[in-house]
Amino acid sequence: MTAAAPSAALAALPMLGLPPEWDRFQYLLLMAGCLLITLPLQLVLRARVYSRPRRLFAALVPVVALYSVWDVVGIVRDHWWYSERFTTGWLVPATPMPLEELVFFVVVPVCGLLTYGAVGTCLGWLRTWRQRRASSSGTSAPGTSSGVRDA
Amino acid sequence: MPEYTVLTVCSVVLVVAAELWWLRTGLFTSARYWCSMAIVFFFQGLVDGWLTKLDAPVVLYGRSEHLGLRAPWDIPIEDFGFGFSMVTLTILLWERAGRREQATRGTPRPIAADDTPADHAVEGAPR
Repeated sequence: MTAAAPSAALAALPMLGLPPEWDRFQYLLLMAGCLLITLPLQLVLRARVYSRPRRLFAALVPVVALYSVWDVVGIVRDHWWYSERFTTGWLVPATPMPLEELVFFVVVPVCGLLTYGAVGTCLGWLRTWRQRRASSSGTSAPGTSSGVRDA
Repeated sequence: MPEYTVLTVCSVVLVVAAELWWLRTGLFTSARYWCSMAIVFFFQGLVDGWLTKLDAPVVLYGRSEHLGLRAPWDIPIEDFGFGFSMVTLTILLWERAGRREQATRGTPRPIAADDTPADHAVEGAPR
């Protein structure tokens, strides 16, 4: 992907292969793709986000509320607007905000948390590996796996 | 200055201030957080690049409400401030909620890899 051919690179993504009547779902499909592609972070890299629904809810509610307000301000003040072709036209009730934006404010933070969780797991593994290596080459090192929980 | 630019700068300042003077999770000293943000920014480039591409935009921007600097591809640079503050705030609140859960549980648990960002701070840094 070079800066010289930006759209060509992006157009190579599979979404363009969809029939035109799917156009209005493009934004929603992109969000679904984000959830799908980050699922292994939970399932393989043990990000432990979906498995803590209360904590997830507590983190998401203020973010969704604040950024929805910002989004509405942006719409009202003409900072941004949305393609009629690539969105469903469904609005969040009593607001000018497309449903897609609400979905975005849930999906993107969830993806961020999954990343943060997965990086935590990987750094934990790295630390355990380092400790094991240090203990196998050093003189004494008890409790090599203390850094990782339910591994 | 364009309004979207101003609001973006405000959001970044407010989220950083919230951590430094209110939440104090230690997130900004954690390698785990900065590694995560690097990954998040990479994927933001792809997703936001798709949403903002000028030949078939999903989201369109008022020309006078942002600086007009678009990179990479056609992403208004303000979007990266928006993404930074949104994801950072989410992680901050996630950490705070985790601490509250631990506090209500009452039992001090050993420091876990995914619970304490400061634990992943630069090697040997005191908490």
